[in-house]
Amino acid sequence: MGRYIVRRLLSLIPVLLGVSIIVFFLVRLIPGSALQMYLGTQVETTPEQMEELKRIFGEDKPVPVLYVEWLGRVVKGDFGYSLRTSREVLPDILARLPLSIEITIFALILALVIGIPMGVLSAIKQHPITDVFIRIAGLLGLSLPQFWLASLMVIAFSNLRGWIPMGNYVSFLAAPFQNLKMLFFPSLAIGIGLAAVIMRYTRNSMLEVMQMDYIRTAKAKGLKKRVVIIRHALRNAILPVITVAGFNTGYLLGGAIVIEEVFALPGMGRLALYAIYQRDYPLIQGIVLLIAAMFVLVNLITDLIYASVDPRIRLDEKAR
Amino acid sequence: MRKMAFLALLAALFALAVPQVFAAGAEKVLTLGVDQEVIGLDPNIVTSFSSHRRVDLLYNKLVRHNENLEIVPDLAADIDIPDNVTYIFNLRKGVKFHNGQEMTADDVVFSLNRILDPKTASPGRSYLTTVKSIDKLSPYSVKVVLTAPLASFLEGLASNNCAIVSKAAVEQYGNLQKVEVGTGPFMLKEWVPDNSMTLVKNPDYFEKGAPYLDKVIFRIIPEQASLLAGVKSGTLDMATINDGSTIMLAKRDPNLVVMQKPGVNVRTFGFNVTHKPFDDERVRQAISLAIDRTEVVTVAEFGMGSPTGPIPVSATQWALPLSKIPYSTPDYAKAKALLAQAGYPNGFTFSIVTANSYEGGLSVAQVIQNQLKKIGVNAELDVVEWGIYIDRWVKRTFDGMVELRGGSSEPDRFLYRMIHSTGGVNNFMFKDAEVDALLDKGRALTKVSDRKPIYDQLQIALATKAPIIFLYAPFETTVLNKSVKGFKQVGNGSLYYLTYAQK
Repeated sequence: MGRYIVRRLLSLIPVLLGVSIIVFFLVRLIPGSALQMYLGTQVETTPEQMEELKRIFGEDKPVPVLYVEWLGRVVKGDFGYSLRTSREVLPDILARLPLSIEITIFALILALVIGIPMGVLSAIKQHPITDVFIRIAGLLGLSLPQFWLASLMVIAFSNLRGWIPMGNYVSFLAAPFQNLKMLFFPSLAIGIGLAAVIMRYTRNSMLEVMQMDYIRTAKAKGLKKRVVIIRHALRNAILPVITVAGFNTGYLLGGAIVIEEVFALPGMGRLALYAIYQRDYPLIQGIVLLIAAMFVLVNLITDLIYASVDPRIRLDEKAR
Repeated sequence: MRKMAFLALLAALFALAVPQVFAAGAEKVLTLGVDQEVIGLDPNIVTSFSSHRRVDLLYNKLVRHNENLEIVPDLAADIDIPDNVTYIFNLRKGVKFHNGQEMTADDVVFSLNRILDPKTASPGRSYLTTVKSIDKLSPYSVKVVLTAPLASFLEGLASNNCAIVSKAAVEQYGNLQKVEVGTGPFMLKEWVPDNSMTLVKNPDYFEKGAPYLDKVIFRIIPEQASLLAGVKSGTLDMATINDGSTIMLAKRDPNLVVMQKPGVNVRTFGFNVTHKPFDDERVRQAISLAIDRTEVVTVAEFGMGSPTGPIPVSATQWALPLSKIPYSTPDYAKAKALLAQAGYPNGFTFSIVTANSYEGGLSVAQVIQNQLKKIGVNAELDVVEWGIYIDRWVKRTFDGMVELRGGSSEPDRFLYRMIHSTGGVNNFMFKDAEVDALLDKGRALTKVSDRKPIYDQLQIALATKAPIIFLYAPFETTVLNKSVKGFKQVGNGSLYYLTYAQK
């Protein structure tokens, strides 16, 4: 198992190298540049000033040379400076990371806590009305646009002091209660959609599993209904849910851009968005690399959880 | 036992609440919501509007604008102008930088030279183009001599890009993008990028008594609706809002004050005059006659703007009334006739570059598109992302383009760079000898009475040749809680009057 983990971690190197090449060259294909954005349409410059600006913004050398120079610095841990703010790239990204991780975990917890029980209830069909109601709720959760839901929450709840962030974000370590209060609605806005997805996966998976022979055996053994459902059915049905949850986690860690915009939260999504708008190449590169690395790690963790839940899965190829 | 626990919990909650109440009474704090973060804090280098508004509170200039956009003394207590190329600035004494050092002529000379130095790449350089020499005459006076008279010289010095910085600080830090050493009414206390910035009162500000607030906290809230929700709920004391529909909602709330003033920015619809058919003046005139500026303002900005000619209406000294500006009121028959004369009796098709941001003016483009149908001209909207919009602007790859031009109450500063054939932001590729001559003459004279006839002629010439159609000057809007007193809205969006604000 240890060897497996090490091997997966080593795969980070070719992945990140590939990602870095793609993003470095791809963003420079987009029309516009950080220098152009900086000057906008209102600023006059002389030719000497333009020369100096090009040097400052790193536009005075061919792109492959710039890539090699950048890579050389990155392997030493120097991700360069933002073209927009002149601040160091890596500390600024890492400062945003805790918020994005927190929202991801919070949203995931809400989604699992809402989605799994609803999916199970709907599948075991105790009351057909419950099933229909839950399925409609699920459909609503999928169809309600996150943007709209988030905006509604801001307007409806902004009178409740401390529950809607207004550029006054504090980290969990600085003020845990305030932090949880102000992340509740943003996480809920994300969580509702995710809950609907998880609910449907759980429901479908449960329906399949409940048909299985071993369930009939368990019932025949006289086990209590609750034990059958949770210990036997759910445990098997949960596997696709883990995969979906894992994938969405990786996705959310990249930052929930829309939610961060509407709720004015300084997360990685907003940072990435503005970096792209402003063609802030060093910042874009840093963020994409970090997100790629996190995605690989989350996938690894998902696979490990999957293997621990399902003893039939063998991650090591050797054991046969 | 349970009762004790309950009482203990109650007491704990109360204890948490009480310090808050006391703390709120002691300090006078104003919280302000804005939708864009600053991009750097070095006044001589910054280009973004959000940065300009911020450094306005942290630094002073030799002269500044008051609420009527008139030039008034700032760090220069008075100015001697012995001839039309010589300015002697007599500085205030005892003004301190936020690091405690006194502001002297050395800092002024250093700052002006820094702005002129190509290595600084300062946008302010273009306002000081004819400066020949800068000399310290005494610890509190500086003499600047120009190579040729420049009517907009003082107006240029009133720009935030020409703020006076501390020589010692720049020598120590290299640049002032992340640290702040100004003389302004407020000092930078804390900056959490994309979240908030806290400014505190400068106790040694040279205006005795001001500012009245102890702290000003800027909060970055990207969504217009969220800004309004913040002011309504009291989380914010005020917010700068530019979306028309949101301002309309604010106006309906009796607990809010909406301050509006016609701005100095001008919404324009310009052509690349090297692209057919816009190389023909008659076609441009026809389009100018087909556009109903009042309707554009009503639909795109909910009526919150003033239709204008080449000089924004807020520049009351210079702007001709619209009635005197040719081709500015709709006349569809004449427009069609002009098109026929130019060889397009059945109209033509072209594209308008626009972006879905406030500056990009998509809603304006949509109204124009509609209006041009009346003369048989088919405008296709090329809606692009902001970065690409700028790229198209730089490369001049457009037929028509909707823009929001940063204006000024001084016509030379606004118009020269925009439509002189050598103008740095003349993306219209417009070259006209008559217009060039008027601009060159206008900036070389210094008396208003001499310049007015020239700029009157210029406005009419521009409206006739129509390389750009000047549409309207949007209002600058701030939404405030009723409890905020003393703040004044300035046409250029400056927040300087926070210096006099009280809660």
